[in-house]
Amino acid sequence: MKRILQLHVNGETYEVLTDIHKTLLEVLREDLGLTGTKRGCDLGVCGACTVLMDGKPYLSCLTLAADAQRKEILTIEGLSQNGDLHPLQEAFIEKGAIQCGFCTPGMILTAKAFLDEQRHPSEEEVKRAISGNLCRCTGYVKIVEAILSVANHK
Amino acid sequence: MRLPKFEYLAPKTLREASKALVFNNKGSVLLAGGTDLLVQMKQRLIQPDRVISLKTIPRLSSISEGKEGIRIGALITLHDLISSPLLRERYPALVHSAKEVGAYSHQVMGTLGGNLCQGNRCRYYNQSVFWRNARPPCHKAGGKVCYVVRKSGQCHSAYCGDIAPVLIALAAQVIVVGPEGERIFPLKKLYTRNGKKPLALKKGEILKEIEIPSPAGETCYFKWRLRDAIEFPILSLALNLEKNGEGKIKKTKIIFSGVGPGPVETVETEKLLKGAALSDPLIEKVSHGVTKEISPMYTSTVSPAYKRKMAGILLRQALEKIMKMK
Repeated sequence: MKRILQLHVNGETYEVLTDIHKTLLEVLREDLGLTGTKRGCDLGVCGACTVLMDGKPYLSCLTLAADAQRKEILTIEGLSQNGDLHPLQEAFIEKGAIQCGFCTPGMILTAKAFLDEQRHPSEEEVKRAISGNLCRCTGYVKIVEAILSVANHK
Repeated sequence: MRLPKFEYLAPKTLREASKALVFNNKGSVLLAGGTDLLVQMKQRLIQPDRVISLKTIPRLSSISEGKEGIRIGALITLHDLISSPLLRERYPALVHSAKEVGAYSHQVMGTLGGNLCQGNRCRYYNQSVFWRNARPPCHKAGGKVCYVVRKSGQCHSAYCGDIAPVLIALAAQVIVVGPEGERIFPLKKLYTRNGKKPLALKKGEILKEIEIPSPAGETCYFKWRLRDAIEFPILSLALNLEKNGEGKIKKTKIIFSGVGPGPVETVETEKLLKGAALSDPLIEKVSHGVTKEISPMYTSTVSPAYKRKMAGILLRQALEKIMKMK
């Protein structure tokens, strides 16, 4: 069954005619063409599909698009402002915290939500916050360094 | 993996949700956080005609203080529960158990009610449809066999929730709403210990609130898992222990998760502790005794013998922690 959904994504409002049983991940990628959000395990284990809704990290593969209405959705595409990268994106580049890049959108968005909540976290707290985001290139050390460098600058 | 097709309802009140549930009880499911339900739907473990989303029902995520204790709305997210200064101060063990669930995003999405009502788990059941198609379905999947206990006439799937053991140890009650109005009963009674139908909710009933009495004694939660994030417990233990004025144990609750078809209370071990003073020999005795009292099955990748051994170790750690607190 198709229905019109109204979604607020990256500051813009979209009206999408789509199947009601689609997840937010599917609608973002297939209906809106926002492929920065990645499909990993598709079962809520890897964190690659993380997007922010009202500033909090959600697994878009386990969120119905219908339930994402009336929320402010932020995907990796909406993070830079007027062409300037977000400090976290800058830090990931500077520290070399990207290898294949597949986990990066989810990793950065989770880190953003976490740093907005906790200004000066410890290394241990950072590790715990991103424990739901898997990186199979095993670049965790640099990712943690990048997040901490932003935290210490805030 | 796509979700199967379904009809989507977003009722505005609990009464409406309950009515919708009564209308088509077998084919409807309730959606709260979705971290358990949508996985099961993707794996085609359940294929409901209707999904009733509870996300738009207001006033079900509050924490209020009353004469009987604290009432928590079933739709409160685990993240809000963890962030509550009141709960952190009064029920640190409850907050600790919620922190142990999944990872950051699961806690943001998952609700307390959803966590308490999560499905039982088994290594033969919680698999993709492709994997399960290799053999006839088990009891829980609608078939007539159990791969955990051969020739068994029932389902042996295990309850693996983190928060229920702590809330049972804290003597929490649940308030459910149904077509016949509200009823309140101990959380312990929410679990049927029947792997196939683990919850004692009647037709059209929905978990509305959880009421926790004022804390008495010390409570702690110990979780043992394969890695220190995301995972369900291999097994876990909630312990509540109350001493009298002379330092003797007045009351104790020992609740395990992951070792049976519901949260498991080890009554015999509790009896051994009652009236005694905590000492090293006593801790040694009961932590040995508890390994004989539980009867875990081979529902996960670790053996029942290992679970028994770890149950003793967790109980010893918990009792030693409380003994050091004085």
